[in-house]
Amino acid sequence: MSSEPIHKILEELPSSNLTTRLLGLLDYVVPGSWENVTSWETMVKRVTGEEDQALIQRVGDRAIQLYNDPEQGYQRAVQIFNLVDSTQGLAGAAEMANKLGQSFDFLSFLGKITPKADTTQGIDAAVKFVAEMATFCYCNGLPGDSVGDFASALVAYEKEDSMRFAAWVTFDLVLPLGPDFLSKTLDVLSSATSAQLGENSRFGKIAKYLPGSDFAEKQQLLTSNLALSSAHITTFVAEKGIDQQDIFQRIKSYVEVGDNALDYVSAAIDLGTNYFEHTGIQSVSRRLISRAYGEI
Amino acid sequence: MNIRTLALLGALALSSSALGCKEEPTRWDTAATSTVARSADAPPVKEAGSFNKFFPADGAEGMKRVYTQEKTGFAEAKLQKDGKDVAVLSISDASGDAEALKKFEGATDKIQGYPLVTVGKNQSSLLVKGRYQVKVSSQQLDADARKVWFEKFNLSGLSSL
Repeated sequence: MSSEPIHKILEELPSSNLTTRLLGLLDYVVPGSWENVTSWETMVKRVTGEEDQALIQRVGDRAIQLYNDPEQGYQRAVQIFNLVDSTQGLAGAAEMANKLGQSFDFLSFLGKITPKADTTQGIDAAVKFVAEMATFCYCNGLPGDSVGDFASALVAYEKEDSMRFAAWVTFDLVLPLGPDFLSKTLDVLSSATSAQLGENSRFGKIAKYLPGSDFAEKQQLLTSNLALSSAHITTFVAEKGIDQQDIFQRIKSYVEVGDNALDYVSAAIDLGTNYFEHTGIQSVSRRLISRAYGEI
Repeated sequence: MNIRTLALLGALALSSSALGCKEEPTRWDTAATSTVARSADAPPVKEAGSFNKFFPADGAEGMKRVYTQEKTGFAEAKLQKDGKDVAVLSISDASGDAEALKKFEGATDKIQGYPLVTVGKNQSSLLVKGRYQVKVSSQQLDADARKVWFEKFNLSGLSSL
């Protein structure tokens, strides 16, 4: 057993920090979908609706045991969620993010960062989306190349999954890229060089866990995955009324960002939060518990 | 504040920081160091994907059926109505899993001759061929409403797997 037990990973998630506050801000997009559950017992209760403590113990135990077996894929899913959100290697980012959680001093943070170019942002957004697909496959066991299965499952997303999707659409697409987010991202992907997708990028970190035998196939997967879900993404943005200026105003009323440019705020959210990892760990916990409830 | 009070406060601070360093035992510690146990002489658990074809059809009772997990010895789908989750259906292979099989001993309720039991308050479980657990779990459907769904599985197909 190489990994820390899943109940500990879940219980180590913060009950309140910048990530959870920004996710809370998105409740208007996916009303009532997400609750910041950071207790294993509470997660078992939420998933099963059961109250008998002996039953809760059996379900919780079995879910933990299922996670402990690396062959089951759940550990790999957590690893990908972790890698894709990791800001390790970016000078001082982790430290700043930590500070930010305590003092909520967005302004001093903003002064120290550089906004990302659209190219980098486009690639990062697509990488997060392909990571979503990969973790979906590791957790749910669908064939790794099953892009179509993933696209249809995405439409039925609920709970933590739907919150993660909403946050991705809002903070990684609409806020940094504006209304043309999809065409911008697809353009960037088709013209991205292997240097841009290289080892030091987000893509480089997770590439080895993605289906596809070589780099070109993996790059192709980024594009086809996004293209296949593009109708759902644009419908989601339109139906929920997710608008670049509107979301910027909401963030401004929530955290002190002054009149700093939108792209600075966007970069700060990217560096200072880990919504993918946070909700990802909750998603994996939910799936394990659901399976354990089915197997006991 | 006299010296004795200061000393007492110091001692309190020391003991509480010492407590903070030590990890408290939890109810999950035993599971944390083990994996699921099955008896070694039982038939191997069925491959992922073996069970999907026995689930109720998409659209039955006006419900959308979405497959959610497909792992070795386990398949799961959820039923949705108007985009909201209504129930979770699952089939799992309890081959060699004595703990899971035990609950069917002495079951009096039956569907198509297979023993049916209630687990907790939100789940009904049917045992097919002495090893396949078919379950309907829902926080909205009661035991009678859950029972209806077992008839929509292909139980005879599952029993000949």
